[in-house]
Amino acid sequence: MNETPRTLYWLALSLVGLVIAIYILFPIFWLFLASFKTQAELAALPISFWPEAPTLDAYKALFSPTHQKGQLLDWPRLIGNSFFIAISSTILVVFFGTLAGYAFARLHFPGRDLILGGLLISRMFQGAALLLPTYRLMSMIGLQDSPIGLVLLYSAFGLPFATWIIASSLREIPRELEESAMMDGASRLQSMALVVLPLATPALITAAMWHFVGAWSEFAFASILLESNENKTVTIGLASFVELFTLEFQFVGAAATIVALPIMLVFFFGQRYFTRGLLAGAVKG
Amino acid sequence: MGSVALRNIRKSYGAVEVLHGIDLDIADGEFTVLVGPSGCGKSTLLRSIAGLETISNGEIALDGAVINKLQPKERNIAMVFQNYALYPHMNVAKNMAFSLRLAKQPKDEIDRKVRDAAEILDLAPLLDRYPRQLSGGQRQRVAMGRAIVRDPEVFLFDEPLSNLDAKLRVQMRAEIKELHQRLKTTTIYVTHDQIEAMTMADKIVVMRGGHVEQIGSPLELYDRPASVFVAGFIGSPAMNFLPAAATGGTLVTKSSVSVGKAPAGVDEGRSVIAGFRPEDLRLADSGMPAKVVVVEPTGAETQLMLRMADGDIVFTTRDRISVGPGDTVHLQIEPGKLHCFDAETEAAIRQDAAGQ
Repeated sequence: MNETPRTLYWLALSLVGLVIAIYILFPIFWLFLASFKTQAELAALPISFWPEAPTLDAYKALFSPTHQKGQLLDWPRLIGNSFFIAISSTILVVFFGTLAGYAFARLHFPGRDLILGGLLISRMFQGAALLLPTYRLMSMIGLQDSPIGLVLLYSAFGLPFATWIIASSLREIPRELEESAMMDGASRLQSMALVVLPLATPALITAAMWHFVGAWSEFAFASILLESNENKTVTIGLASFVELFTLEFQFVGAAATIVALPIMLVFFFGQRYFTRGLLAGAVKG
Repeated sequence: MGSVALRNIRKSYGAVEVLHGIDLDIADGEFTVLVGPSGCGKSTLLRSIAGLETISNGEIALDGAVINKLQPKERNIAMVFQNYALYPHMNVAKNMAFSLRLAKQPKDEIDRKVRDAAEILDLAPLLDRYPRQLSGGQRQRVAMGRAIVRDPEVFLFDEPLSNLDAKLRVQMRAEIKELHQRLKTTTIYVTHDQIEAMTMADKIVVMRGGHVEQIGSPLELYDRPASVFVAGFIGSPAMNFLPAAATGGTLVTKSSVSVGKAPAGVDEGRSVIAGFRPEDLRLADSGMPAKVVVVEPTGAETQLMLRMADGDIVFTTRDRISVGPGDTVHLQIEPGKLHCFDAETEAAIRQDAAGQ
């Protein structure tokens, strides 16, 4: 009876979603296609959509030193820096977030819930308001032009939220599981490592994904703190194309594709855990 | 060996004391049930024995050695939790082997013990399954298997059957009892269900408000309850109570109904609570008048809810009786089955029970 209206409803909804998706994805896709074009094709009229003669020249140029001609930054270096910063701070955030999250979820101490709430409030501060003080602070301790400085900074910014995610998920894990492990002969650390953390994997991966993506794509702090070319990150590399006197879109496209790749991979592989985490909570055993 | 001695166990959360000095001796191999309404402290006491709660005062001894300062893992006590607490990411075999692996026992030894326990509990075909793939009863058995493989001095059970449906509960009750008869391991079992306590226990500890109300075998508690609370808690349907006073050698209620002969030791005029079990009543030509409110035949016996001037009472009989709602019947209490409690303290007035 109401089968048809429902189908129509979903059809309409999907259509709207599709339009929004195309609207958002089209420029990205166009840039992706542009990365396989030549400078000449990009400048030609009428504008071509599909590359006439797909070429990897733009990618080669980014990665081979002979093509750099002083205009392009050292992209392998930028990518290396970004990976170093994003991965190191993700490791720090997940490690300390797990310890702190466990404490918030399991131990009793005065002001616990207040502090846990405070962690969320700390996210309400606009990053821009912290730019200047952070710069002062970092130059005072001599880390203003250093990837290490960014690792510490991103970790500090990311830790509250990661702690919060992990603490909430650890709270869902029945206390009896740990008590049972302790009765079975486990120390607190063993019960955490062998029972709690395997069950909290979805939360840990969610926190790690969240932080990695944020750290990988952070621009504002990286751009004011990092000065020397050899310390810069991919986001600064992307922005630097704007300053070049000729806008060579095939390079922008190639660089943007490379920068987007890790994020896509993270979601591609992380999604599995993401859904598993959701399902585990939904089906009460 | 696994004898447990509790001496003056006290436990406070801040200013609130939840255990007010518990003394209890449990012999090796004994099946002891802690029973009481929720909040009576029975689970806290059990968790204190396990080492999951620290006690504020007192002494817990296992085979004479004081263990209250030891970590749970150092006590050689196994516990089955109310929600089973199976490790969801491990299959049945791994769940059962967990403690042995932590103890770094050799692999073939672990395999043998797990197989043996699985055999006892009919879990052999399920060893590769994960907890989520098991039924409630199977999970319950895995939880027990996890305790058995360790061959501990003492088993603790914390309301293990409360998550099962009624039929399965009866079945598991018998399985746990059979298991105990086979392994003869000292067992302390917490429940709020007096039927479980009655059917399983060698010794029942009735708790209320952080105190031990009475300790005894199931039938001792049933036949000689020490207080109104125990009398009302043990037995189903519950014991009937009527306020009464000793007048001229008989117990008479407020509305001048004679309940029965005043037991020795009840002085003239003393206010008491008269108690009698539903099955200790019989129909008579004279006696306490009561109006039938509801008749509930169950086949084996028939249960009647009756209204007296002094309150409602329940009467059960195995006879086929032909009375209906609105009829008035007369009841007498079987000789020697009248319990008498002090109206103030609610404690049993003992001399009579001994005399009759």
